Amino acid sequence: MKNQRSGLVYSAPITLWLTLLFVVPTLIVIVYSFLKKGTYGGVEWIFSANGYNFFSSSYFLKVVWNTVEISVAATVITVLIAIPVALYIATSKYKNFLLFLIIVPFWTNFLIRIYSWIALLGNNGLLNKLFIKLGLEPHQFLYNKSAVILVSVYAYLPYAILPLYSAIEKFDFAMIDAARDLGASKMTAYSKTFLPNIKPGIITATLFTFIPALGSYAIPKLVGGNNSQMLGNIIARELTITRNWPKAAAISTILTIVTVAFIFTLSKYDKDHKGGDV
Amino acid sequence: MKQGNIKIDSISKSFDGVEVLKNISFEIKGGEFFSILGGSGCGKTTLLRMIAGFIEADGGAIYLGNEEITHLSPNKRDVNTIFQTYALFPHLTIYENIAFPLRLKKIKDAEIDREVKKYLEMVKLSEHANKYSSQLSGGQKQRVAIARALINKPKVLLLDEPLSALDAKLRQHMLIELDNIHEEVGITFVFVTHDQQEALSVSDRIAVMKDGEVLQIGTPSEIYESPANAYIADFIGETNFIEGEVVEVEDEFGYMESPNYGRIKFELDKDVVVGNHVKLTIRPEKVKVSKSKPRYLDDNDNIFKGKIEEMIYSGFQSKFFVTVEDKLFSAFKQHVDFFEEDAETIHWKDEVYVIWDSADSFLLEVM
Amino acid sequence: MNKKTFSLNMFILTLVFLYLPLIVLIVQSFNSGMGGDWDGFSLKWYDELFNHSARLWTSFKYSIIIALTSAGISTAIGTLGAISLKWYTFKHKKYLQIISYLPLVLPDIIMGVSLLILFTSIKFKLGLITIFLAHTTFNIPFVLFIVLSRLHDFDYSIVEAAYDLGATEKQALTKVVLPNLMPGIISGLLMSITLSLDDFVITFFVAGPGSSTLPLHIYSMIKFGVSPIINALSVILIAGTIALAMSTKKIQKYMV
Repeated sequence: MKNQRSGLVYSAPITLWLTLLFVVPTLIVIVYSFLKKGTYGGVEWIFSANGYNFFSSSYFLKVVWNTVEISVAATVITVLIAIPVALYIATSKYKNFLLFLIIVPFWTNFLIRIYSWIALLGNNGLLNKLFIKLGLEPHQFLYNKSAVILVSVYAYLPYAILPLYSAIEKFDFAMIDAARDLGASKMTAYSKTFLPNIKPGIITATLFTFIPALGSYAIPKLVGGNNSQMLGNIIARELTITRNWPKAAAISTILTIVTVAFIFTLSKYDKDHKGGDV
Repeated sequence: MKQGNIKIDSISKSFDGVEVLKNISFEIKGGEFFSILGGSGCGKTTLLRMIAGFIEADGGAIYLGNEEITHLSPNKRDVNTIFQTYALFPHLTIYENIAFPLRLKKIKDAEIDREVKKYLEMVKLSEHANKYSSQLSGGQKQRVAIARALINKPKVLLLDEPLSALDAKLRQHMLIELDNIHEEVGITFVFVTHDQQEALSVSDRIAVMKDGEVLQIGTPSEIYESPANAYIADFIGETNFIEGEVVEVEDEFGYMESPNYGRIKFELDKDVVVGNHVKLTIRPEKVKVSKSKPRYLDDNDNIFKGKIEEMIYSGFQSKFFVTVEDKLFSAFKQHVDFFEEDAETIHWKDEVYVIWDSADSFLLEVM
Repeated sequence: MNKKTFSLNMFILTLVFLYLPLIVLIVQSFNSGMGGDWDGFSLKWYDELFNHSARLWTSFKYSIIIALTSAGISTAIGTLGAISLKWYTFKHKKYLQIISYLPLVLPDIIMGVSLLILFTSIKFKLGLITIFLAHTTFNIPFVLFIVLSRLHDFDYSIVEAAYDLGATEKQALTKVVLPNLMPGIISGLLMSITLSLDDFVITFFVAGPGSSTLPLHIYSMIKFGVSPIINALSVILIAGTIALAMSTKKIQKYMV
């Protein structure tokens, strides 16, 4: 019974909830980005495009560059590691067990996972304590760009392995044999048959790594230094410390637009080049 | 049984601009076993689902007994459906599946128990009451579906190709069971199928559908022996077609000239005049094939010569495909008698005589 | 088999990479000293954790309450929403599809920021309720997605059969649809609980001064520096998560 009334009844709670607590806040943010900063924080209802003048700030541009650099680096490294790992698991006899092994660390609390690197590489961490014991000078391993990239890779690796695993599982390995049978070298066989066919998996893995990385807050805050802060940290600072809400709203709006644009282009690319689901 | 009669009145339906049902009108008598027969895409399932209430017509009306049910929702119609995949509830036992309609009405447990046991008995599944549908075979699942649909005591039972998921032997068996249940319960059965064998064997009447239209309604023998057009003649069983021009007309017989067979005598099932272009159908089982010229021929026999092009032996019958004037292939079946008077073996490429009685042909079309 | 050994090596390296820091945590939590020396096996940090960390346990309590309530509400709302998208048409269907997909792909921080701005602009006091509202909001799309994928394989003819046999919409929903959708609903519920317990960023933005969830508490502990208590807590959480995951696998086996 495709009773129209029922469709409305069942969809009402979710539509209302998401509209009020997702759509409306997003719209408010966009509106706020075009208002004047209030003296003590908050906003005054006067139009102003000042929120967007951070483009002229060199500090801001540096942070943007950091964010992009770190996100791209983390994504590339993560996906490059994830492909052979997912390949190994998918072609193994013990795939369920191996998958389980990869997932277990993923189940631990996100912050704990970040913390574990601080405990290992921090200024008072295990490695430095060992250095001191061995008579070596302690070294600051963390609080720089590389640390943020390392911990990001650590955090996002399972998100990349899973979709790649699921794409590789569906791949018919006989194709590689066929290619080699027709004269291709191993390298060529892999690059011309394997990689193109797991493209949807690669796209999903990229999506699930790059976008969270762009919006990173905790990782750069905890293991990044002053010169490796990311957009998320600026937004938080403008909101809570400098209390420049229009600016925070503006940066947030730009980040939203960039993310949506990125997803849109990726899904178009996937559709045009024939693929599975993202 | 007047209550269980159905009237379909000028029903039409389109999906995405495609006409699926084109102004259909007919009546189903209360208590009869009525089949709707047709190939895929003819609209039979759409029509059935419309009677059940899952699809709304664009135009027209449906009546059950004296009540118009066109816009009633399925749960308010006194009609129950056997789905093609049986649609048994996987989360309930067989007992609870069958009890389901009664539990909806909040009937007392004791009474439910009595009724469910009665219907379990009827479909011979009493020992399986506590099993789940995944533990049953296809035939058993269908019986559960039947019990579940009948416990409501509906006026009409709709069956949507219920046997298509079963293998051939089981299909035969279930068909007989359905027939028996129909006898026992006595309500109207509307049976949708693409298999003409099924329809012919159990129906009281059959409606043949094609492309959203009802081509003919009749008893199985009417449909078989007097098909309304060439499509039906060909769809039901196998047949031969002969076309030609009428050259002579008598009281009960006519004569035609056909390009390949020459002069053919035929019974006048319809009125013709000289000059009409006609199409005949002659069922292969009414055609005899013989190597030697038969001794007893009468005026009404048509006879001509041909060559065996192909023979298919299937134990109880043989099919002979004969070329006549090296143009047309004609299919003939013959029953093989155990003791034949002039037992002769026919071989491939043999020259044979082809004979049939002109009363056995059926005049299909007159143009 | 060059390719095979390469991927095997990568796999082993990755396992080491993933587990090494966690193993360090676990080992250090039993180390009675705080330095690089092994001062002897000790449970003193666990003792500190269990007996002298009242605030931590309060925040843990709040985390559980919020996780259970937000998971419950979001599962109910998400399940009904999934049913509406799969089997019904209504005017705002396209709109709903978009707004239920977007939260899944936008970074957490955007949702955190926009909710904070929402609550402050309408002068709604930040606290446990705002955390609850935020958690329910980000859980709903996940539940929707999980239940929708279950509905993909759902045999709709049993719903038609229910109507055919006389069921009203409500009866068909409660007696046929929901019982058969249970595995998906449970999956959604568990996923919501997990996401809620683990969330940091969104909670960080919408929490008030007094309220705290476990992740927030852990964050402030971490900012103070390395402490063996955090090590002990980490071990407890790791063990607890694994135990929970293993038992849900057992439950799932029975459900399917």
